[in-house]
Amino acid sequence: MKPVKIAILSLTHGHTRKYYQSLNDNPKLEWLAVYAETEKVRDNFLAWGYNIPCYMNGNEMFDKHPDIEAVVMASANNVHLRQFRSCAERGIHILSMKIPSFDMEEYAEMIDLVAKSGIVCQIELELHYNPVVARMKDILEKDELGNISAFNATNITLSPVWAFPWQGVPEESYGKRVPLCPGDNRFRGGALCDHPHVFDMIRWLTKSDFDFVNAAVGPNIRPDLVVEDTILVNGKMKNGVSFLFDTSWSRLEERLEVPGPGWEIYPKRMEVNVTISGEKGVVLVDCFGPNVYHNGKPNDRYTVQYTYFDEWIGMMDEFVDCIRNNKTPKINLSWHRQTIEVINACYESVASGKSVYL
Amino acid sequence: MNPMDIDVALANLLEKYQVAIGQPVCLGLKEDDEQLQLVPGHFFGTVLPKINQIPLLTWRTARKFTELKKIVEDTVIQDPCLFRFCCMGDPVQWSLFSLLYRELDLLEYIGNSKVLSVQAVISDQKAGNVMVRLENQALCSIEVSIQMPVGSSMIERHEIIARRGVTSDLVVDTQIPQSSVYCYTSQGETHFTDVDNELFGLDNLQIEHVRSAFRVLEKPDLAENWRQQHLHLCTLIDMVFESNNMHQRIFSKGGQI
Repeated sequence: MKPVKIAILSLTHGHTRKYYQSLNDNPKLEWLAVYAETEKVRDNFLAWGYNIPCYMNGNEMFDKHPDIEAVVMASANNVHLRQFRSCAERGIHILSMKIPSFDMEEYAEMIDLVAKSGIVCQIELELHYNPVVARMKDILEKDELGNISAFNATNITLSPVWAFPWQGVPEESYGKRVPLCPGDNRFRGGALCDHPHVFDMIRWLTKSDFDFVNAAVGPNIRPDLVVEDTILVNGKMKNGVSFLFDTSWSRLEERLEVPGPGWEIYPKRMEVNVTISGEKGVVLVDCFGPNVYHNGKPNDRYTVQYTYFDEWIGMMDEFVDCIRNNKTPKINLSWHRQTIEVINACYESVASGKSVYL
Repeated sequence: MNPMDIDVALANLLEKYQVAIGQPVCLGLKEDDEQLQLVPGHFFGTVLPKINQIPLLTWRTARKFTELKKIVEDTVIQDPCLFRFCCMGDPVQWSLFSLLYRELDLLEYIGNSKVLSVQAVISDQKAGNVMVRLENQALCSIEVSIQMPVGSSMIERHEIIARRGVTSDLVVDTQIPQSSVYCYTSQGETHFTDVDNELFGLDNLQIEHVRSAFRVLEKPDLAENWRQQHLHLCTLIDMVFESNNMHQRIFSKGGQI
């Protein structure tokens, strides 16, 4: 199969570094270029030592590399629509970050752009390609738990805002400045916007859609942030399964501008844990464990060193397969729309203090 | 010491520490108004305890909860923002009521604040997820389930996340409580977590029962305090089920409407 010629846009998303290795190592991809949004971002990229041309203007990159077939859209949420339009016009396939847009009119336009241009658009929800999640799915499909009563999950991390500032700016993360609730001086656009995985996973694994949600924010662990950093969500699916999600930025971090060793203050940067309670028993899942540990450089603190899995390989393989064989990705814009809608519903619940029905 | 000996264990402690009591006591519910009956509060359900019955908040004597409370009270961690509590047990030993009773009490006890509001979802009367706001504004999750296989050990987690520091009864990067002894033999795998040398041989729930009864007998003023907390917890559990039925956040009396 001919490798897909690919580029990365913006380089401002927290997962950008994952794509450096993925694009470099995957023989099904030919990495042609990157577009860096700022000089600082460009310098960070160049420091990695990849021999890939780096442009400061996206159109210049496309003009100089007319053979680019696909992009990883590694940008802030508020520039996605502009980049969708540009890619659709050029017939360039898109691997989008998890939040194409929170504005449902923009979202509808993205669906329309993809349909009319015939490009492939896949959403980056890499847990679909995680082997621990595959085992959990297998257990459920074999009906080992019987009817499920509750599906609880965490997607908790440190806050990325010091390295990726747009994630702490309501207009860039949520798309506009919307107060969380009356009397609160914070705005939509924080931890909830960063962690859609659990909302996607419950739909995928329970084969049901959301009935209603309740959400509430706690006091910020980082009082200087203008977006929420602690939030809980509970509710029910249409099949009666109850759920509780914690999507907080509840692991403190050193305020590094470039992520690297020593980023974490709490020993563990991130967890996605799932607890499923069913009529025949309970299953506990750590999607990113087990790990190894050290207390060495740079801070001599006890630290969880992740033993990451290969989900990025499976995800990129599917993207290539869809491009080369005219397939629709599992995680496409239409599938993902309800996940975006339910996150918006969570913010409505925070604002009203009431259950919000989907 | 076998599981039938908790009354003997209590008597031994009372004798050893020379705690005088004016009437016979027992650690079960009986149709005997002469005996002082000391049992875990959730045993009463929503029935009002009689004058000779004392609802025990047994878990408060567990060393790990004593230490978690101390860590919060001594501001070892500072400005708690988020409490993450989880408790899953088997349906023979536990009910949703008893798990909620235990966890709501632990939340107020360790959090040093009363519950302001609850928002709950419950499925099949077997699993429940509650979001709680404390009066100090901290946000809390309580996850309970009685769908563990019969005979299983309880799986629990009590984590408090503060602006400065995190404290938890679960080891970092683990999903289940650890034991102090793991024994792998040709007979299979067994594990033990012994926490009380004076009461060695009792299981941990029995130890909590005996220790909490002893505490009340040693400090009689505690009985009324725990009786009031029992009534308060029953009200909170009513709020949880009402929230589930109404799909609404329910505020405690005196809280915001």
